[in-house]
Amino acid sequence: MARSEIMLQRTKRYKKMVLFPLIASIMLILGPALLLQLYLSFNYYSIYSEGWWASEWYALDIFSEVVFDSRFHIAIVRSLGFALASTVGCFVIGFGLALLMYKNFRLQWFYYIIFIIPMLTVPIVIAYTAEMILYQKGPLNGILSSIVGRDMLIMWITNPDIALLTVVLMEVWNWAPFSFIIMMAGLASLPKEPVEAAQILGASRLKIFYEIQLPLLRPIIVLALVLRFLEAMAEFPKTWAIFQGGPGTATETIPVLIYLNTWYYFDWSKAAAMSYIVMMMMVVIILTAIKILQKENKRIAQVQAN
Amino acid sequence: MTKSQKQNLDNVIRYTLLTVWLLIVLFPLFWIVATSFKPDKDWLAWPPVYWSEEPTMSNYNNVWGGAMEHAETQYAQSVQKPFTALRNSTIISFISTFLSVSFGAFIAYGVSRYKVLSETRMFQLLMLRMVPPIVLVGPLSLYYTTIGLIDSLTGLIAIYFITTLPYAVWMTKSFIDEVPIELEQAAEIMGANRWTIITEVVFPVIRSGLLATFLFILILTWSEYLVAFILSKTDAVTLPVELAKYEGSSEGRVYGRQAALSVGITIPLIIVGITIRKHLARGFSFGMIRK
Repeated sequence: MARSEIMLQRTKRYKKMVLFPLIASIMLILGPALLLQLYLSFNYYSIYSEGWWASEWYALDIFSEVVFDSRFHIAIVRSLGFALASTVGCFVIGFGLALLMYKNFRLQWFYYIIFIIPMLTVPIVIAYTAEMILYQKGPLNGILSSIVGRDMLIMWITNPDIALLTVVLMEVWNWAPFSFIIMMAGLASLPKEPVEAAQILGASRLKIFYEIQLPLLRPIIVLALVLRFLEAMAEFPKTWAIFQGGPGTATETIPVLIYLNTWYYFDWSKAAAMSYIVMMMMVVIILTAIKILQKENKRIAQVQAN
Repeated sequence: MTKSQKQNLDNVIRYTLLTVWLLIVLFPLFWIVATSFKPDKDWLAWPPVYWSEEPTMSNYNNVWGGAMEHAETQYAQSVQKPFTALRNSTIISFISTFLSVSFGAFIAYGVSRYKVLSETRMFQLLMLRMVPPIVLVGPLSLYYTTIGLIDSLTGLIAIYFITTLPYAVWMTKSFIDEVPIELEQAAEIMGANRWTIITEVVFPVIRSGLLATFLFILILTWSEYLVAFILSKTDAVTLPVELAKYEGSSEGRVYGRQAALSVGITIPLIIVGITIRKHLARGFSFGMIRK
């Protein structure tokens, strides 16, 4: 056999060997769960059934109930809104901080270390801490009161008009560091020559930012936005631990609604049908995101190769 | 304005803005530490008590020192087992992270050198991470109940292994890509087989990268809440889930105790995270950002 053929065979063997654990665990763990999810979406199962295998065939009834459920529609819109708002919030703050900090200055390391701490904090801890702080007669209102000079008793948690905003604020506190470190890395990797050249030519700082730095940073900005958006769509601990979807349905995002249907209303089949639709929706979003990332990844590699 | 005046103004603005955010970041952290030293009456006082005049260790004693000996500060204590949760969290996160990084590194080597996964497949791998776990944990818990993996460490280790593998593969690949191929060719000429090349040439060269990957994934697994919350009942409870148990039916949330436990859960992560701060951007961006 030719040497190249031996190499090819070895490569194939290596491929089988290393991919085996991944494929096996997907087939043994995720596969059955996916099948069960599909099964539950067509067969009515409640905890009063003997077992999931003894559920009743409902054909498309469960799906059609979910598809026309306005509470589900609102949850989708709410989730998208939450993800969008918190992504933008994280990005504006993270990028802003990175712009203030990317040039070396004396206390850079100190600020950097402090600024990354929120994303290292356990999300559920953030939720419980936030509850203490946001209590109507809690320290945040206490501080605001002393700044304004009169009692500010904002109902961060119990006012349905504010509750979702409160979750956004928690998410921004938690994950602005994510955008911050990515944009710091992006700014640090920018080539210096174009900026210097523009400075010599007398361009203003604003012009340099918009016409040189921003275009170069674009792929990294896209990366920071896309990844954060996807993570925000899945946010559960902070929303759940404080609000459980309330007050009313003010913070009922997709994860919360699925959780409520499964473990509060014990409507497993409805939750499964919902999950299935959400999964399909997310797969479309993720495939789009992946396409974008795949394209931008090449540009990022180019920028970083400089 | 002269140039130096302008620079001074710049500095003033910069430090002011940075310090404002610094305070916003630090205040909740301060609050949780302060609360962990507060006696019951200060938890929800108005006007707020920022630092208790009678700081106490009773919250820590109650959480970590055994509830019985500190019965005077006890609330609905019977089901709380912080040491079990600590043990579970440690076992689950270390084992699943170890599996994820080791298998991930071998896959990454294959991708980097032999393209065992095409670029498209590599991006599809990200799906394992990006699909929100909530869509599958319900059926998964039924399946786990059926096969007896519910409330078991094994069950949680398996699912964490799968969901962190994309990070492991992508992050280790980014390190392996930077290893010059000449090193491996030299080893091959000296008669090393592939196993030896990987374990004795490549992995030692990127060992700090492997360690960073390990610690990065450890942070993610240690703080995971939803999956652990649903797939555990009593035996496999992890620390983030344990935290919710410090809540009595009549007393409401037991803030001081929760704070004391929270401090214990979070400090190790912050230390680990600060240690690998140079690699965090690489980790969170799936290795796409390398500096």
